[in-house]
Amino acid sequence: MIIFPRYLAGQSETQSLFIALGNAGINIMDRLIAQASFPMETLAINTDQQSISNTLASKKISMGQMTTHGLGTGGDPEIGLDAVKESSGEIQRAIEGRNIIFICAGLGGGTGSGATPLVAELAKQNGALVIAVVTSPFSFEGRRRAQQAATALREITRFADAILHFENDRMAELIAPHAEVGETFSVCDSLLFRAISSLNRIVTSNGPIPVSLPDMLAVLRHSEDSCLFGCGDAGGDDRVRHVIDATLRSPLLDRGRLLHDAGRLLVHISGPPSLSMEEVSEIMKEISKNLSASAMLNLGVSVSQDPYSPLSVAIIGRCGEEKRATPQIKATTDLSYLTQPSPTPQPASKPQQTEVPFFEVPVAHAAHPTEKPPTQKVEQPLLPLDPVTRGRFDKIEPTIVEGEDLDVPTFLRLKLKK
Amino acid sequence: MAREKIHVGLEIGTTKVCAIVAECRRDGEVRLLGVGESPSRGVRKGEIVDFQNASNCVHDALSDAEERSDHEIKSVWLAVTGSHIESSNHRRSVTIEGGGEITEKEIEDIASKDKEVILPKENDILHSILQQYYVDGRDGVIDPIGIGGSKLEADYHIIHGVVNRIQSTIRCVRKIGIDVEDVVVNSVASAQIILDDQKKASGVVVIDIGGGVTDYIVYHNGVVRQSGVIAIGGDHITNDLCIGLRIPITRAEKLKIEEGSASLENFAGAEKITLKNDTGFSGKEIDRSMLNHIIHSRLHELFGILRNRIQDVVPIRLLGSGIILTGGCSLIKGVREVAESVFEVPVHFAHAQSVTGPTSAFDNPQLSTCIGLVKYAHAVDTDYPQESFLNRFISSISRKLHLI
Repeated sequence: MIIFPRYLAGQSETQSLFIALGNAGINIMDRLIAQASFPMETLAINTDQQSISNTLASKKISMGQMTTHGLGTGGDPEIGLDAVKESSGEIQRAIEGRNIIFICAGLGGGTGSGATPLVAELAKQNGALVIAVVTSPFSFEGRRRAQQAATALREITRFADAILHFENDRMAELIAPHAEVGETFSVCDSLLFRAISSLNRIVTSNGPIPVSLPDMLAVLRHSEDSCLFGCGDAGGDDRVRHVIDATLRSPLLDRGRLLHDAGRLLVHISGPPSLSMEEVSEIMKEISKNLSASAMLNLGVSVSQDPYSPLSVAIIGRCGEEKRATPQIKATTDLSYLTQPSPTPQPASKPQQTEVPFFEVPVAHAAHPTEKPPTQKVEQPLLPLDPVTRGRFDKIEPTIVEGEDLDVPTFLRLKLKK
Repeated sequence: MAREKIHVGLEIGTTKVCAIVAECRRDGEVRLLGVGESPSRGVRKGEIVDFQNASNCVHDALSDAEERSDHEIKSVWLAVTGSHIESSNHRRSVTIEGGGEITEKEIEDIASKDKEVILPKENDILHSILQQYYVDGRDGVIDPIGIGGSKLEADYHIIHGVVNRIQSTIRCVRKIGIDVEDVVVNSVASAQIILDDQKKASGVVVIDIGGGVTDYIVYHNGVVRQSGVIAIGGDHITNDLCIGLRIPITRAEKLKIEEGSASLENFAGAEKITLKNDTGFSGKEIDRSMLNHIIHSRLHELFGILRNRIQDVVPIRLLGSGIILTGGCSLIKGVREVAESVFEVPVHFAHAQSVTGPTSAFDNPQLSTCIGLVKYAHAVDTDYPQESFLNRFISSISRKLHLI
């Protein structure tokens, strides 16, 4: 029997819930709610009574009343964990029946780092698709926080189906190094907002070319690396070119440069009913120009009913090359984990070892289904491509036009394209 | 005849620093008195990366110019460029109060709306150039003073850049005790000397391919429609040759100047070029077709990018006076043919208008920006009616720059 999670079964209605954890998470959520008509139900969870009472969320849980007395964790993840354990029943009730759960938290503090993994676990047990949107602290906040964030992120990876991880450092640096503090935060938040709402659109919309959930998960699953995200909107004449320009110029893509390193990418195009196939192909052509040849592209197209909605493109991926097992293998492990009770129990393999030596290997493997993928996984390293040659322009600001590094000799780039 | 005011134009280029001392007559003629040049060090892509070295080069060039012109240089007009310089077109409007007649005040008002243009935080406006007026939505108004209406609108072309990066260029000149009168964007300066009113009216593009960057400016119907900088220049060709042919950079530069050509057919000379051996470099034979191919693909790409940018504002076939090439790279053989194949309109080389003095100077495309600076300075100084709006902006900008 094939067991599959509930989010694959219930196609008819998607019930998404947006959970914000900790002060940072709630701040981001409040901005999201204030900024636009946020399409999801929201739930704020915090240990700090004060922030809970100020938030705009539709539902609120003040957790760990006994542990913290509503005073927050003081930056200690242990207390955060205790608090969430105390209130797990309440959280469980709140997330019951949801099939898509977004969890938004700023890692590094007490509540964010301590409680997020457990909330993710609860959501997962509930059968929901869990998408975590997390930020890691600025490096100037100290090594302790960075460590707490890293530990929490590792924990979350175990339970979340998809992780969008944004590094505050990188965001602040890329967006506007000289901007005012408040502005930097609001730009960061609005970027998060775009990311979350386009993810929501990808998950919920049905279009001519829907993005299948496995595709999306393949891109975002189990990545501790920070996330690659770019988006753009445009309308009117020449919208294709404008939308491509805006997308490639998104700050988190580092002017299109980071796309080169992405192993898997999800591109989602949505637009008014007038969106033509030609436009789609043109957009994809332009985007592919910036990708490495080995990159795996997943495309989704959806059409909105509103004829005046803008043409928008979202690119989601992750920085750095693929390090972990391919998602297909990962998916099977999940399934085998669920069906684990049925295979032969471990003691049975012991006597067989002496009797039939040549069975030894497969049986031993069958006995430890969870260990199978790491041993079977064959790492096939990519042949290192020639390092991009920029010669004397190596150390100075590159000339990037339409996402192409023009310092690399033209004839080399032309050859690469062929 | 009394000596007219003498202006000095200074350009800190990627390959050379060049200073021009010239005298401007009332009739608009520019007479060159002296040209000072020095090879440039510490400049990449039109921007200073090694302050001390660059400052020394500026000093060399200026003292060279002083010597040749017999004129003591106190202040200069400085050309700036760099990939950070951008431009955009804006429309702004004022409501006309009172009797409904447009007066000087409305013109002043609309001109002083520069601050309302939304720019990136670190940028400031370098030039704000009037394109055209509209009165109650009616276009084609040349001089709106005295015309009645309820709303006055104007289109402006704004050229802006990162303040800090322009400042570092200014500082480089100030450091040696020379004052900077004002900064002018390369493309604006070049256009002053290369174009006349008739060319501007029929539509023309000036492409100045320098050592580190390419500046361009598009005129149509007599006004600036677009301008910009692409950080690609002769250095890129040299670098391409260095990588593609595996020869040292100095060799590549020499090869580019002596043998380089952008045409893919009709090779002049032998199939192979022999590079003599030299200290640290054993001789090498180079395929001419390879050499040309590398140069061709770089220029072809550059023109392709320019074509797309120009096409955004004006269809290229409407440019009656075609394309004008200038800058050091326009000296490469075959560049015109490449440009013509990309733009599909006539391509000419720049010829400085109404300049007298040593002929070698004003026919050299490497100097067109510098001569343009002098002409620009002259235009700003003289109170020509059609230049008066320019004057106001320039003074406001220079005030801004002097304050910092």
